[in-house]
Amino acid sequence: MATMLEMMKSNVEKNVSEALKKAQDVQGKLNAVVTFVDPTEQLENYNKNGLMAGVPIVLKDNVCTKGIETTASSGILQGYVPIYNAHIVDRLQAEGAIVIAKSSMDELAMGGTNKTAYTGPVHNPYDLDRISGGSSGGSAALVAAGVVPFAIGSDTGDSVRKPASFCGICGVKPTYGRISRYGIIPYSSSLDHVGYFTRSVRDAAVALEVLAGRDDRDMTSSFEPVPHYLDQVKGNLKGKKLAILKNVVDVIENKEILDCFNKVVEEVKKQGAEVKEVELNEDLMKAMLPTYYLIANCEATANHSNLDGIRFGLQKEAKSCEDVMIASRTEGFGSLIKKRFVIGSYGLFEENQDKLFRKAQKVRRLIVEELKNALDGLDGILAPASGTVAPKIEDQNQDDLSDSYLVAENHMVLGNFSGYPSATIPMGEVGGLPIGLNITCHPFDEGNMFDILRGIELITGLEDKIKEVL
Amino acid sequence: MEYEVIIGIEIHCELKTKTKMFSSAPTSFGKTANSCVNEIDLGHPGTMPCVNKTAVEYAIMACTALHLDIDPLVKFDRKNYYYSDLPKGFQITQQFHPIGRNGYVDIEVNGEEKRIRVNRLHMEEDTAKQFHTNSGTMIDYNRAGTPLIEIVSEPDIRNGKEAAAYVEALRSMLYYLGVSDVKMEEGSMRCDVNVSIRPKGQVEFNTKTEIKNLNSISNVQKAIDYEVERQKEIYENGGTVIQETRRFDEESKTTVSMRKKEGNVDYKFFPEPNIFPIQLDLNWVKKIQESIPEMPKVRKQRYIEQYGLSEYDANVLVQTKELSEFFEEVLQHTSHIKMAANWIIGDFTAAMVKSGCSLSENPVKAEYLATLLNMIQDKEISGKQGKEVFEEVFKGKDPKQVVADKGMKQNSDAGALLEMITQVLDEQPQSIQDYANGKDRAVGFLVGQVMKKSKGQANPAMTNQLIVQELKKRIG
Repeated sequence: MATMLEMMKSNVEKNVSEALKKAQDVQGKLNAVVTFVDPTEQLENYNKNGLMAGVPIVLKDNVCTKGIETTASSGILQGYVPIYNAHIVDRLQAEGAIVIAKSSMDELAMGGTNKTAYTGPVHNPYDLDRISGGSSGGSAALVAAGVVPFAIGSDTGDSVRKPASFCGICGVKPTYGRISRYGIIPYSSSLDHVGYFTRSVRDAAVALEVLAGRDDRDMTSSFEPVPHYLDQVKGNLKGKKLAILKNVVDVIENKEILDCFNKVVEEVKKQGAEVKEVELNEDLMKAMLPTYYLIANCEATANHSNLDGIRFGLQKEAKSCEDVMIASRTEGFGSLIKKRFVIGSYGLFEENQDKLFRKAQKVRRLIVEELKNALDGLDGILAPASGTVAPKIEDQNQDDLSDSYLVAENHMVLGNFSGYPSATIPMGEVGGLPIGLNITCHPFDEGNMFDILRGIELITGLEDKIKEVL
Repeated sequence: MEYEVIIGIEIHCELKTKTKMFSSAPTSFGKTANSCVNEIDLGHPGTMPCVNKTAVEYAIMACTALHLDIDPLVKFDRKNYYYSDLPKGFQITQQFHPIGRNGYVDIEVNGEEKRIRVNRLHMEEDTAKQFHTNSGTMIDYNRAGTPLIEIVSEPDIRNGKEAAAYVEALRSMLYYLGVSDVKMEEGSMRCDVNVSIRPKGQVEFNTKTEIKNLNSISNVQKAIDYEVERQKEIYENGGTVIQETRRFDEESKTTVSMRKKEGNVDYKFFPEPNIFPIQLDLNWVKKIQESIPEMPKVRKQRYIEQYGLSEYDANVLVQTKELSEFFEEVLQHTSHIKMAANWIIGDFTAAMVKSGCSLSENPVKAEYLATLLNMIQDKEISGKQGKEVFEEVFKGKDPKQVVADKGMKQNSDAGALLEMITQVLDEQPQSIQDYANGKDRAVGFLVGQVMKKSKGQANPAMTNQLIVQELKKRIG
């Protein structure tokens, strides 16, 4: 295995068939693939001069693929074969990428563990007893295991950046509107982002050039021109103005993670970057999780009202249309999803909207304002992506109300609230398990973000790090 | 007891755009079921709405005609409910910020003008069409996503006649604007009427009922008339009207209960996150407003004032957009305005009725009709010949050609006429004598003789004049 950029110099057929074979070989251990895709036809007619010519890739299973089953790891979408391609599928294929598999995810992207997938949990290549993180856990595991050098994910809370941390790879969530969401089965439209995984920052820069750009079918996609990002990726940290997010560092209990982070930061300073500390309002930081849940669940309950068993996916037989809907939805959704729908519905009731949904929107605006002020005069804000390594699969959810959980495990939702670009790259290992560093930058400043991350990648030396699964 | 009737009307109107409100699939009427749909109309996962600019343009036109204030920030909301005709499980509408607010429509009932206030106009998308059969429910998604405007009146309407006039006025305006087919019988214009009555002098409103399934303007009036009587009877018998949705039954001409309203449904409205608020370019809005066609009321006034037509004739002409447009087109080619109006209201309309074709299939070229009128007016042919020629013009023929083919053209050549007149006078010395003796009838006889000689082509007026002139010469 190699990075995308290296791979493009070698034999495409061999690369693709090796990737497919490896994906099949590790499937029993990782359980990361939902559907394998036969690449034969794609190989016959791919763009040999594309930016991703011949690169085998994986798509999260909430990316609609024409003629290929797309389930979003939910029972209710069993047998659903889209009649159209998501915008990014067309973009990737136009640049020569070869899709070899659709990857597992938390059901409908709602979750951070990948344990709620209809096909069961995904295992972390570094320790098969641990989660790969979620909701884009299948994609993360496949990139980390060296199956493919690139995989699509989606990020509504931190669903790309958290699994990237747990699996020791690069996870990018660009600016809201940078990549079209047309054809991505949604979770929460105002928070959803298309994101992706690579094993190198330079690959990430190339991939964004492929994926970004206006799509008239997504009215929220931006007209901002797409630069040649790779040109900006020099890795020179001199003069970069950075800050550490104090709220997060202060509540992380794992000393080894802090030590690792601090060491990287020291080196960043040595390379000539200015690094200070910023602190956001503590109450707002603690309000992030409930705010996120409300907005996301309210939007999700509406977004998934189309999954009614009438036109596609799982359909239970019943006497009337209404009964078909009730029976299909009752059987098709997992219990966590139903819980979220109940919360979302409750938050949208007319009598509750003021104190729940609309209040959450107001708090979201306050949080974004706070972040915007903090970023003023800076190139980016740094923090450990998580206060822990990947938890064990059998671990129950942590204490949801502890400061360390509320803040350290949820701070990356700042990037979703604001739509600002944010990415995670590996910064080291603790007990043989990867840990990640996160950065959040100004809107549409991805080029600069990649430049900083490349500098850090050169410090850690963690480029193209693969964990072979034997 | 005397009651006051309170009526408010909600009208849903399909916009005549080429594509749907939020998708690029074609709009359709009467096409094969489910042939005009794409993944968006079917509510497939991952699809997103994209606002149809023409629909917004049409909504702005309608707002302008209805004197509504236009909100320059266009926003959409989701209305959430589960129903098998609603593919996404929500309808995209404009709950919180309708594009138009606070306008009015002037109606005329029994010769009196009345202003009906319009509360709002908003854009939304239509649902699919369902057919319940013995073997199950069939769903046709062609209609799903068709752009709609909903126009909500204030409760200013007081009886069935006013209601009918209001719906007719709206129908006619929207049709003139060209934004909708407004065919109530085909459902491209749908009308829901809210009716309540209260004792004269009472300030608060009583319970209202909503009447649906009104597929013609006359049914609007009939349904209201019936419903008012029904409610009166209930109150007179000491009962109470319950809030419910009723349906007009064509056969019995009554309203029958469809469903009780069990409290208000909570549609959990919230802003559509996939459509950012759209700031309208005010120059664009202005351009649209300036380009809207003349409304029927204005046009009628112009016909009376500028063309000097009678109110009756003006009314008949503006009743249908096509008829008045045909009239306008004819006027492009002739200056005989009143004659054109008479012919269009008279012979033309009669021929149309007789042939059974609709105005959209009008076989007569406006230019040809105008030519025919000019030929009559210029005495190239007689009025009687004109009617004969019109029969051919109605088949799409050029009147000049018809006249030539039939050899009908009046002979207005003075030299040729004189030659024939001299011949006739030579043959009829008795008539000259009669004329000399003061018998004017002789002229008529002589004209008849000339006509005979000319095979009916002599210009009668000219012939008459020339005969008198020659007679005078001869009797010296």
